[in-house]
This record gives sequence, C-alpha cells and structure tokens, in this order.
Amino acid sequence: MFENRAVGLALTLPAAIFAAALFLVPVGILLSEAFRIDGSWSIGAYIDFFSSARNRTVFLRTLKLGAFVAGVSAIVGYAAAFVIVSLPPTSRGRIFGLVTLPLMISPVARTYAWLVILGRTGFVNQILVNLGITDTPFRILFSETAVFIGLLQLFMPLMIISLVSAMENMPKDAVPAARILGANWFQVFWRVILALTREGLVIGGTLVFTGSMTAYITPAILGGSKVLMLETLLYQRVTVANDFVSASVIAMILIVMSFSANLLLKRIATARKSR
Amino acid sequence: MLKKIMLTSAATMLLTSGAFAQDKTLTISVYSFSQDAFKELVYGPFEEICDCKIVVETGNSIERLAKIEANKANPVIDMAVLSTHDALGAARKGLLQPIDASALSNYDKLYDIAKDPLGDMLGVGYTFYATSIVYRTDKVTVDSWADLLSPELAGNVALPDVSTNQGPPSLYMIGKAMGDTSTDLTASIAAVGENADDIVTFYVRSSQLAQLMQQEEIWAAPVGRFAWGRFKDNGLPMAWATPKEGQTGGMNVMVMTANNGNEELAHKFMDFWLSTEIQTALAEALVDSPANSEVVVSDEVAANLTYGAETVGQLDLLSPDTILDKRESWLDQWNTKVVK
Repeated sequence: MFENRAVGLALTLPAAIFAAALFLVPVGILLSEAFRIDGSWSIGAYIDFFSSARNRTVFLRTLKLGAFVAGVSAIVGYAAAFVIVSLPPTSRGRIFGLVTLPLMISPVARTYAWLVILGRTGFVNQILVNLGITDTPFRILFSETAVFIGLLQLFMPLMIISLVSAMENMPKDAVPAARILGANWFQVFWRVILALTREGLVIGGTLVFTGSMTAYITPAILGGSKVLMLETLLYQRVTVANDFVSASVIAMILIVMSFSANLLLKRIATARKSR
Repeated sequence: MLKKIMLTSAATMLLTSGAFAQDKTLTISVYSFSQDAFKELVYGPFEEICDCKIVVETGNSIERLAKIEANKANPVIDMAVLSTHDALGAARKGLLQPIDASALSNYDKLYDIAKDPLGDMLGVGYTFYATSIVYRTDKVTVDSWADLLSPELAGNVALPDVSTNQGPPSLYMIGKAMGDTSTDLTASIAAVGENADDIVTFYVRSSQLAQLMQQEEIWAAPVGRFAWGRFKDNGLPMAWATPKEGQTGGMNVMVMTANNGNEELAHKFMDFWLSTEIQTALAEALVDSPANSEVVVSDEVAANLTYGAETVGQLDLLSPDTILDKRESWLDQWNTKVVK
C-alpha cells in the first residue's frame, strides 16, 4: 500500500510504542514477579499454587466451565448460524442485530439481571412452581449452574457471529450438492459444514473459552466465594491477602491457558483438514 | 488552541492543588464510604477554622495501606482512619507515630475502649459498630449465634466471608455459642465447613447482602450495625437480634503517620473530629456511631446506631493483635474446610 516501507513502519510506530510501553512492559514486570523468589529465578510459586487442593479445584473448575460454555455455545451457535444465513437479507440483518444487541449492554447490567431472574422469587422459579414441576423453588444462584448460565449468555453471541461469517463464506451449493449425493443431515454437518467453517469455530471457540475463563463480574456476582474461578481468586489474593505473587501466578496461568486453547483448537482444525 | 488548552490546564492545576490559596495542607486517607456527608460535616467546617486545605484520599484499606507504606520515607498522608487491626499492622511496620493525648482537648470525653485500643497511643477510636444478626421475624426467631447453623435456617442464611471485617468476629461468636471461646476459630470454621451446603453464600459487601434479603434469598445473616439502615425499611419484617452470647463488632481508629512533619495540624483535625459537636453531627446523619461519650442523640437516631455506654461496654470484640496474628491461619483453615 505504501511505496516506501519506511513510511508504513513509521505509521505503526506510535501504536507499537504505546502498546509496548503501557502494556507489554508493565505486564512483563508483573509476570516476572511470579518467577522470582527472594531475588532469584524460580518456579516455586507455581508449585506452591498447585500444591493447594483449593487452588487445583478452582483451576479445574475454570477449565471445565470455560470448555462447557464454549462447547454449548458451539452447538447452539451452529443451529442459530445455520438459520440466520438461510434467511433473506433483511430478516438476516434484523436477527443478527438481535444477536449482537446484548454485546452492547454492560456485563454488569446483564449479570445483575440474572441475579433477579434466577433468584428464589425470580422468573425461572416462578414458572417452575406454577407449572407444578417443584413445590420449593430451586436454589440456582451461587452455584456453578448460575455461573454457567451467565457466561453462556455473555459469550454465545461471539460464537454465533464467528459462525455466521464463516457460513456466509461457504459455497452456497455445498449443502444441496451433498444432499443430492446422498449424504444424510448428520453427514452434511460433519463432513461439509463443519469442515468448511472450522476457522470460524476456532475463532469463536477461542473467544468464548478465553472470555469465560477471564470473566470477573459474572463469577463474582453469580458464583461468589463458594464458586471461585481463577479470576475471582486472583482478585481475592490481591485485595484480601495483598498477595501479588499468587496473583501473578494466576495471571500467568490465564495467559498460558488462553494461548493453549487457541493453539489446540487450531491444531484440531488443521488435523481434520489434512485427513 | 494549544495555548488555550495549556492555560486551562494550568488554571485547573492551580485550583485543584489549592496550595497557592492557603499555605497549609492536611492530607488524610479515609474510607470512601459517606464522603459527601464527611465533606459537609467535618472537612468543610474544619477548613473554615484552620485556614488550611484538606486533601482527601479514599480507597479500600489494602490500597490505602500500600500507599502509606510506599511513601514511608517521605509521607504524603498525614493522618488516616483504619480498622483497629489494619492500624496495628501499619504500626508494626513502623509507619505510625504515637498520638499526643494532651493535644486533644476532647480525649477525656471518649469511651474508655476508644482511648488507646492499640497501645502506646498509636491510635484513637473515633467510631465503633455492633455486629449481630439481621433476620426475618415472620420466618424465624434468632436468639443465639448458633441459630445461624440451625436446621430452620439451612438454605436460608448467608455468612460474611472470612476475609471481611465481619467474618472473624461472627465466627468467634458462633464458636462461643458452641462453647468454644478460643480465638483459633477451629471449631466454628469446621462447623461452618460441615454446613457449607446450607449457606447460600459468603458475602463480601453488606450492600450485596441487602439485595439478597430484599429478594428473599436469605432470612438471616450477621451484619455490622452501620448497614442496618439498608435492611430496616426494605418492606419485609426485619429485626436486629440480641443473641444470648452478646453482640460483637469492630472499631475504627485515627492514626498519625510517622515523620509527616504536619503533626500540629493533624492533631487539631483529630481533635475537631472527636469533638462533641462533630461527633453529634455525624451520629445524627447516621454516618458513624459516636466514640465521644458526651454525645446525646434522640431515641430514633440512637436506634440506628451503636450508641450509649451500656451498648458499647457489652460488645465482645476480637482484639486487633488477635486478628492480625491469626488472620493467615483463619484464611488457611477456611480455604481447606469451607471453600473446598
């Protein structure tokens, strides 16, 4: 685009300096704390962290909820995306707008709404009681279920958006062609749609998984201290115990998990491609 | 244009620093709670008589302590208000200096427990609060701390998290009700752990608790008296329990940072805050319960505060040394037994 490479470099320089000075360097300093014990390099802080049963539970819970939210988002997301792309353009725009609308509302407001909806006197329990499904309202708040529901609602739009754009790039006649050649709907999905949209799935999956893992407000409000996740544990370590070493360890774990998730999903996608 | 911006920002700096208007500045570090009322009732009136400027820094205790510690060599903060145990923590790190009682004309008016709660005059109490149990009178009757773990309240009770100021005192009282008065809290933490599934949540903010009560998620929870106002008018039948084991609570103190060079003004400000007039104004605004024993308020106001020699004398408080020395062990026990 630019005739002179130097011009291009010069134009990216301010943004690069900004990112390096105000993001990379402070993050580097903060994270290096997690590798130092009494001034020398060590991974002792990590061993300490994982030697606590409670920390292991929190780690596994975070992993589990992240994976569940990403998995369910993918299943629901494919169904939704398939319907959206098959709609005529005007209604597609409307439905797509509805899907993205929640992203424009603050996560605090959305999560607080769940506090009311999922409560004992809330909408969900009132319906269950009125339908005679249960006599005593279910306790949903402050459980993994509540956090799961909150995170799913928070991040599913990202999956749908990624899948819709992936499906829009799919050749229009791929599905009819597969059907004519005798594939059933399961085969159509598995061998045609999934194969042609895996990049969207990788992007959506990474966004939803890392988003769920690093969300703070939702697990704090809907889970509380009984359902700690890594992010809420990190906050607790800093504000309650003034323990910046554990906090840095958790931050590092979150970064590593985010990158690993992305690499793993990409790996799965390319493995299928080469088969 | 650029010139205009520079002029504006220079003017703003002049206005905000205020150092040009008055030569003396007092920098205080306080809780962010009720700052509008403090500005109107304490800081403003003091500025009028001292010919000085008060710079207010707010935040949670950890942030504020970290700042005081970071500027130890060259203190920015002159006086701070903290919980007794946070103040003792700061004193042990050498961040504080003794307060000169002779410089405080209102010192003798204080309740005895507020006079020197940390020892060596390192802090003076300016307010305290009782901690007891708020409950729904139409659902249960609470007359013991042990009721919190009773079958009647199973699935309908919230407890303060061990990391909050209400946590350890409440656990101490639960232990006391179980016949264990040790401050190791082993028995009560174990009991809470066994009943963890019956406890709706371990709250960290009293505002959060008020919402849970309003939504009928819970029927009872231990809470500081300062939060009672959020419950009493919520439209539900609420009561403040007077458990047979007594009530617990906490105290906040004023402290003087070491070597701040502004001791004279800081003492004047402390004395002003402790005066009968100001303590009465703060009590009437329901901001802080008075530590000054000469404060007289109406019954209506008193009902919302921790007021009167009798009430104050009956509070079963954990000492700041205990909280500071055992906090880590409580947190460890809690993490293994309660939040498994």
